Amino acid sequence: MTPLRLRQALTLAWLEARRAFLSRRSFWVYLLALFPAFVFFMHGISVKIQRDRLSSRGVISAALMDSVRESETEAAVIARLGKPVNDFAFDRRAKQDRALVRRVNYFDGSRILVLTFANGVLESKRVRTLVNLEEDRAVFAMVFQNFYLRLAVFFGCLGIFVNLFRGKMMDKTLHFWLLAPMRREVLLGGKYLAGLLAASLIFGLGALLSFRLMLWEKPPAELALFWQQHGPAHAFAYTAAAVLACVGYGSVFLATGLLLRNPIIPAAVLLLWEGANPFLPSMLQKLSVIYYVQALCPVAPPPDPNMPAIMQFLFSPANPPSRLLAVTGLLLVTALVLWLAARAVRKIEINYSTD
Amino acid sequence: MPVYRRGYQRYAGPVTAHRHRMLAFPRHAWKRLMEQRLVVLVMLASFFWPLLCAVFVYLSNRADLLQGFDKAFVAFLEVKGRFFLIFMNVQSAAAVILAALAGPGLVAPDLTNNALPLYLSRPVSRFDYVLGRWLVLAALLSPVTWIPGLLLFAIQSGMAGWGWFAANWRLGAGVLLGFAAWILLVSLVALAGSALVRWRIIAGALVLAFFFVLAGAAQIIRQILRTEWSVLMDPGGAMYRIWSSLLGVEAPEGPGALACGLALIAMALLLAWVLERRLRPVEVVS
Repeated sequence: MTPLRLRQALTLAWLEARRAFLSRRSFWVYLLALFPAFVFFMHGISVKIQRDRLSSRGVISAALMDSVRESETEAAVIARLGKPVNDFAFDRRAKQDRALVRRVNYFDGSRILVLTFANGVLESKRVRTLVNLEEDRAVFAMVFQNFYLRLAVFFGCLGIFVNLFRGKMMDKTLHFWLLAPMRREVLLGGKYLAGLLAASLIFGLGALLSFRLMLWEKPPAELALFWQQHGPAHAFAYTAAAVLACVGYGSVFLATGLLLRNPIIPAAVLLLWEGANPFLPSMLQKLSVIYYVQALCPVAPPPDPNMPAIMQFLFSPANPPSRLLAVTGLLLVTALVLWLAARAVRKIEINYSTD
Repeated sequence: MPVYRRGYQRYAGPVTAHRHRMLAFPRHAWKRLMEQRLVVLVMLASFFWPLLCAVFVYLSNRADLLQGFDKAFVAFLEVKGRFFLIFMNVQSAAAVILAALAGPGLVAPDLTNNALPLYLSRPVSRFDYVLGRWLVLAALLSPVTWIPGLLLFAIQSGMAGWGWFAANWRLGAGVLLGFAAWILLVSLVALAGSALVRWRIIAGALVLAFFFVLAGAAQIIRQILRTEWSVLMDPGGAMYRIWSSLLGVEAPEGPGALACGLALIAMALLLAWVLERRLRPVEVVS
């Protein structure tokens, strides 16, 4: 590529990127990208409020919390542990049995102990962690792979990249670009670069912000250890996965918007294909963007326990490729799709009356 | 005399019946839709699952073919509420894709080309216009939703006998009611999307996004905030619970059919409000 063409592509990319970032039409893309961050933020606030409320009602030591044994009496436990943070009593009637049930909670700063007494004797004891870094990391992995990559990045890229050519055809402004003294491949490259810049920044930063907010309100010691061990690597991996997804989906949607008058059907097929990925035979799983992007994610999400039995039976995710192979594979596929799009853009002719 | 000097008078001659005027919309739109290859192709593809289900019903009623099989397998082949629930789940996705294809072409072109005043200057109200457009979608979605559902129910009743029908008539009613509610919701989404975004392609994407993104967003809230009530913002999930209740199948944990029904009614009202706001026969040109 000559310096002139590179300059042309960069100029075009800058012009288009500004539109992609600032136009009213792209407002919903920000919503998609920031929605998980918003929910993690709400979760952080709810944890903070709950912790403050429980702390104000009294905190017991962890050793005292662990000292409660089965079949202890209500009076003995309350005498030893003191006034509970929550206290609730009700009459339980089941068939012939009737019992006076009292449920009390204790808080040790990070865990909540839920004790249920029936007729004054301890019936059940349950410990719930108010904030659990490991659990939240698994939740983040699930949200990132099942929502962020499969839906948010997917629909975001659909909106951004299809708009680059198909949107201009509908606006009846594409001929201005086609009349500009530059090669069609430069036009395609510039538009792809613009879309990629916008999508990568929006979704990359969205992923990073969600990750940071997921770690908000976690115990400082646990958090410091996490940042020393895996934190930066995980943050980078999630951001890179989001950017790589934009690279892959972007090329596909750019080509779709260029080649097809109505890209909705291929988009719907691709959406179903990517969604059904873990249920497909392992050979077919490799023919998707999500297979390679997931390989970059540092934590594998646990399967949904509410999944129907037949789906659990069919659920068989293939072995992920190495990170190097995943990145190289996806870049090669992207290059191939862009090459096909470049061949198509050379022959493109505009007839607004039919488009 | 120049045309602009002519005074216009409201047409005072005889008019056709109200029903006929309203049915003019679906009559013409239906013909246009059937000329679209994609719509026909997707519609044909949507018949694949009902055909498979019909084979399933046939097999489950041929006791002679099932001799020697494991009891668990024979129980799996039994046609009951869960069978119809799975059938409805798959067909509901087909209905969404069909609506995403056909819906945007119903209202968006009228708005883009400022054709709405032409329609509404005739003895047709805005409600008639929306109802006419809705009928197009209802007629398009019926052959892939409640019609095959009731056919399956009829096949099963015919093969299993009167006793089965008497004991399970609720399943047929559930299929009909459940799909009627789904058609109403999907059509409203398609029409509101089409009225909101004047580009057909984007409106189609909006219909898909409405169902898939809201489902994803509900999952995010469920996972992060650990609450099952997020399903109320997922139209598919909420409808699934209503169908489960109609078919007598155990629903997943969380809000019941009543809460889900109220959430869906709220969604439908919101969509109707969007239609009401967007479908105005006047445009202020600044």
